[in-house]
Amino acid sequence: MTLADIQPGKKARIVSIENVNKLVRRRLIDLGIMEGSIICLKNSLPFGGPYTLEADGQSIGIRRREASLIEVSNL
Amino acid sequence: MMNVALIGNPNTGKTSLFNALTGFYEYVGNWSGVTVEKKVGKLKDELGQLIDLPGIYSLNPLSEDEAVVSNFLLTEDFSAVLNIVDASQLERNLYLTLQVLEYGKPVVIALNMFDVAKGRGLKIDTEKLSLYMKTPVIPVVARKGTGIDQVKHYLREINAENQEALVIHYGEILENAIQKLIRQLPDSRLPKRWLALQFFEGNKPVWELLKKHVDESVLQKIFAETEKRIAETESVSSLDRYIRQIRRQWICNVLEKAISHSPDRKVPLSDRIDRIVVHKVWGMPIFMLLMYLVFKFTFDWLGSPLSDALDAFITGPVTNGISSGLEAIGASSFVKAVILDGIVAGVGGVLVFVPQIMILFFFISLLEDSGYMARVAMVMDRLMEIFGLNGKAFIPMIIGFGCNVPGVMAARTIEQPSERLLTIVLTPMMSCSARLPVYTLFAGAFFAENQALVVFSLYFLGIVVALVMAKILTSTLLKHKESVFVVELPPYRVPQGQVLFRSTWEKGKGFLRKAGTFILGGSVLIWFLSYAGPGGLSVDMNESYLAMIGGFLGTLLAPIGFGTWQAGAALITGFLAKEVVVSTMNILYASPDISSLQGIIAGSFIPLEAFSFIVFILLYIPCLATVAVIRKETNSLRWTLFSMGYSLAIAYVISLIIYQGGKLLGLG
Repeated sequence: MTLADIQPGKKARIVSIENVNKLVRRRLIDLGIMEGSIICLKNSLPFGGPYTLEADGQSIGIRRREASLIEVSNL
Repeated sequence: MMNVALIGNPNTGKTSLFNALTGFYEYVGNWSGVTVEKKVGKLKDELGQLIDLPGIYSLNPLSEDEAVVSNFLLTEDFSAVLNIVDASQLERNLYLTLQVLEYGKPVVIALNMFDVAKGRGLKIDTEKLSLYMKTPVIPVVARKGTGIDQVKHYLREINAENQEALVIHYGEILENAIQKLIRQLPDSRLPKRWLALQFFEGNKPVWELLKKHVDESVLQKIFAETEKRIAETESVSSLDRYIRQIRRQWICNVLEKAISHSPDRKVPLSDRIDRIVVHKVWGMPIFMLLMYLVFKFTFDWLGSPLSDALDAFITGPVTNGISSGLEAIGASSFVKAVILDGIVAGVGGVLVFVPQIMILFFFISLLEDSGYMARVAMVMDRLMEIFGLNGKAFIPMIIGFGCNVPGVMAARTIEQPSERLLTIVLTPMMSCSARLPVYTLFAGAFFAENQALVVFSLYFLGIVVALVMAKILTSTLLKHKESVFVVELPPYRVPQGQVLFRSTWEKGKGFLRKAGTFILGGSVLIWFLSYAGPGGLSVDMNESYLAMIGGFLGTLLAPIGFGTWQAGAALITGFLAKEVVVSTMNILYASPDISSLQGIIAGSFIPLEAFSFIVFILLYIPCLATVAVIRKETNSLRWTLFSMGYSLAIAYVISLIIYQGGKLLGLG
């Protein structure tokens, strides 16, 4: 299951971010988002636009393609 | 004299703290070695200087902006670090703190947004934190000025002699490798253990430095061997992830002892605002509406009346005053001509636009300071992706509407090098406020009824050209470079008056400086070239040197609709700064003020030619200051020349289409 499969407003635990683009992965890690983090999909923008995510009070935006490369599991 | 470096994560309130600790005095200078701007403020109470560094998450840089901090630590002499930390995001913020503590300079930690953390149910024991970090930790609320005295107190107490670097044990494999590398390093003022750690973390500026002292193959061998051994025994594949894991463990251990949570958490206000402004349906319309309001305020509701009042003041009392003053001291007619026809006409013609420029900068600062800019990047990303860019590239473009120079610099926050380059090269297509005086002049003379529409069409054209160019470049020269997007969405904050006015002034003062330098000098030069000619001084303007130079250009420009020597001359001077076009015309048409200049211009252009001319002004070349900053930011002469060449070509082609097409349609 990936982050792109999660319902908006739902939370999940990150299993792996290995497949994410290197630059994005580094930035996610900088922001404290990595394996084991609990992440919430807050909303998405139309026409395949980016997702707003939240982890530990920290909001970030990433593209849908990147979100679909983040493996997650249900809590 | 103490030099304190201000280091912290982005969006932690660095600017607020900087302002609270320093007086209004500050300057922008260059670092030795690297040409990146730094902002230096004088600490209050004669404590020394405070150096503002870009916000970073880790010393190991990802973007250009972040490399600045590593380079600072490697090359500059400083006495202490003031580390600002967001109390509500401690786990992430302390990662940088740890790297700074490992450096071994005295550190004072300012725990900012203590109130926000409390509101989120965090209870932080600063004394315990201070104990584990072995350095002072002070709770502050920078926006309200709480705790600032304490920070100053600890800065005063700093004693460089007895500061020890924080040492964390990184496991036997890595510790052995660190020792092995340290033995190879020459003695310098830089801490060896810190250098070794940053090296293993993959910090590029540190690699570059070490390569000067140690054979590159030796470095690569140590790195590869260590990474392999770590991968064999630990669960992580790369050294930087391993180091990060150790540090995070250390941080979590500390936080476990120093922090307690209380369970009551309500939905933060930011989340509620975000539900609206990055809403599926409403996100884009809200952004459009905000931009519309900004431009309405700047150009219509607030800016124009102010500009008109200033114009009346300069052409009336100021000109009369100077004129009678010159009369009274018995100045010669030459001096009178230089001052009144050259300087007052040239500089005054530009100064009247300062209110509009300042208002636009005020709104840009407002968007930045409130936290909305990051949301703009979100809202625009899908559209920008089509053109091979990402949403973050839109921010330099919006700033570029104010002035292209800070716009080009704002591209530093874009992680992907090719996307950053593209944004730098395209930002000059954004119609900066210096071009506005030219539009206003011509739109007022020819399209008085549709003035707003004509000006808007130019802004729009600039964006369209930039996006189309982006598409062309990403499918040719910059092909196969993947576009990526990740943006931090900071909590919204009510903008602070002082910070707003300060950053508006920061951005806007450049215009006033330009008026006193480029435009003043340019005006005198233009006036002189129009006053002198092969036949001597005080010649008829049509026989002047300027008429000759402009006339040559005029023949090249005839196919696009403005073959007069005045237009040619104005375009040359417009390269100095776009608003000089107005100054030049003011002088060349010997006009006392803007409204009579409009009358004169209405007699020498037809509407189609005028429109072609302002389109050309929009696109034809980045101004001198922008060219300089493009050169600095791209560090490439080729791309700098490219940015000039392609804009000239595009401007000519588009003006040609407009003029010739318009003639075919019977508009000329």
